[in-house]
Amino acid sequence: MNLSMTLAIALVVIAAICLIAILRLAVSRNLQISKQTSLAGQISPIDIEAFRNLANPSEDEFLRQRLPGGEFRRVRRVRLRAMCSYIQVAGRNAAVLIEIGQAALASNNASTVEAASQLVDQALLLRRNAIFALLRIQLALVWPTAGLAAVPVLRGYENLNGSAMLLSRLQNPAAPVRIAARF
Amino acid sequence: MLQAHSLLWHYLWIAPNLLLLLLAATLWRRRIRERLPVFWAFAVLSSLGQLAVYAADVIPTITPATFWKVAWASLVVDGALKFLLIGEIFEQVFGRYGSIARLGKSIIRALGAILILTATLAAALAPQDGRFGIVSGAYMLDQTIYLVECGFLLFIFLFASYFHLSWARPWFGITLGLSISACVHLAAWAILANGGLPDSKRVLFVFLNMATYHACVLIWFFYLLIPHSVSENVVPSARLPEGPNPLAEAAREGDLEVWNRELERLIHP
Repeated sequence: MNLSMTLAIALVVIAAICLIAILRLAVSRNLQISKQTSLAGQISPIDIEAFRNLANPSEDEFLRQRLPGGEFRRVRRVRLRAMCSYIQVAGRNAAVLIEIGQAALASNNASTVEAASQLVDQALLLRRNAIFALLRIQLALVWPTAGLAAVPVLRGYENLNGSAMLLSRLQNPAAPVRIAARF
Repeated sequence: MLQAHSLLWHYLWIAPNLLLLLLAATLWRRRIRERLPVFWAFAVLSSLGQLAVYAADVIPTITPATFWKVAWASLVVDGALKFLLIGEIFEQVFGRYGSIARLGKSIIRALGAILILTATLAAALAPQDGRFGIVSGAYMLDQTIYLVECGFLLFIFLFASYFHLSWARPWFGITLGLSISACVHLAAWAILANGGLPDSKRVLFVFLNMATYHACVLIWFFYLLIPHSVSENVVPSARLPEGPNPLAEAAREGDLEVWNRELERLIHP
């Protein structure tokens, strides 16, 4: 097989992958629209205090001073994996809140629209930070003695919780949405 | 049936372009054009360009060299309009969200550089036809445009999907049609430009391209002109309690601390 034929096959494969991915995303987007009724139920509350404890650099420093090197790295990896799980849940919650916020943007009430806009912006920021924090954690799992920046995710999540509850209260005073187990 | 200058060939070349002009006229009449200026320009110029190429193909007095010059001009205008349209899609989907628009722009710049490098490499590796450079050049340009277009459109879909962003129906339809067309055309032009196929087989890929484009024009018709039955942005219960609302006041001030205090007071009175 010559070079030009190989190139043609490679480009056909790339085009097919792109087409399948785009069609899958387009179909899943249409399915999202049809199942928007129970969005708030998809939120998993997070214990922010526990997450704050895991992300606290002084806790790590305390463990580093008390534990031998090998033991510290093992404990640190366990803590990082736990942090990873928290951030994944926070990211999923942010995604649900983006959908709730975008739905509320169509409201006729100016207060609701404004609260929804704030919520969407903060949730987008959190989802963006979540992907960066997860990358940092993956790096830290390889090199456990390095520091990492989970604090922006924590702060973002605390702000998001306030915004979510505000929007929820504006929309449905009887059943506010909580994304933090303790707040 | 599946031969150049057959009835089906004439239909598939003319019909989608006439339909696209009809769509542009309908958008003008319904005053939707103001909301989709780049797509409208694309619909008009792209279809007129294709009809000009068709005329150059069927008029016997036009020489092959003139035909390929017309095809080149149409291709360049079409490519420029498509990239303008992709820029407009990006702005419509992400522009209002400041927190991710900057990240998206940075990624799209880097992706653009990678895609252009890849497309240039692919064009450099493709076989060159010394006698008909203008023909193989047009194939290369087609392949390059569709490769870059595919990459950008896939990125827009992936980025919007990761952030769970909802699309306005017209922009979703425009992007979907453009994406299907770009992917199928990329595959077809890759084979046409690199495959070394005989003319009898080449014409099948030309039919595939034309049929796909026809389907995409129908997708644009569906998403731009047919109203959707269920609102995509429905709020189940967007009602406020009667009377002055301290939460709405706090929201206006944009102070999350105030919001939280108000909420805590409401939740734990």
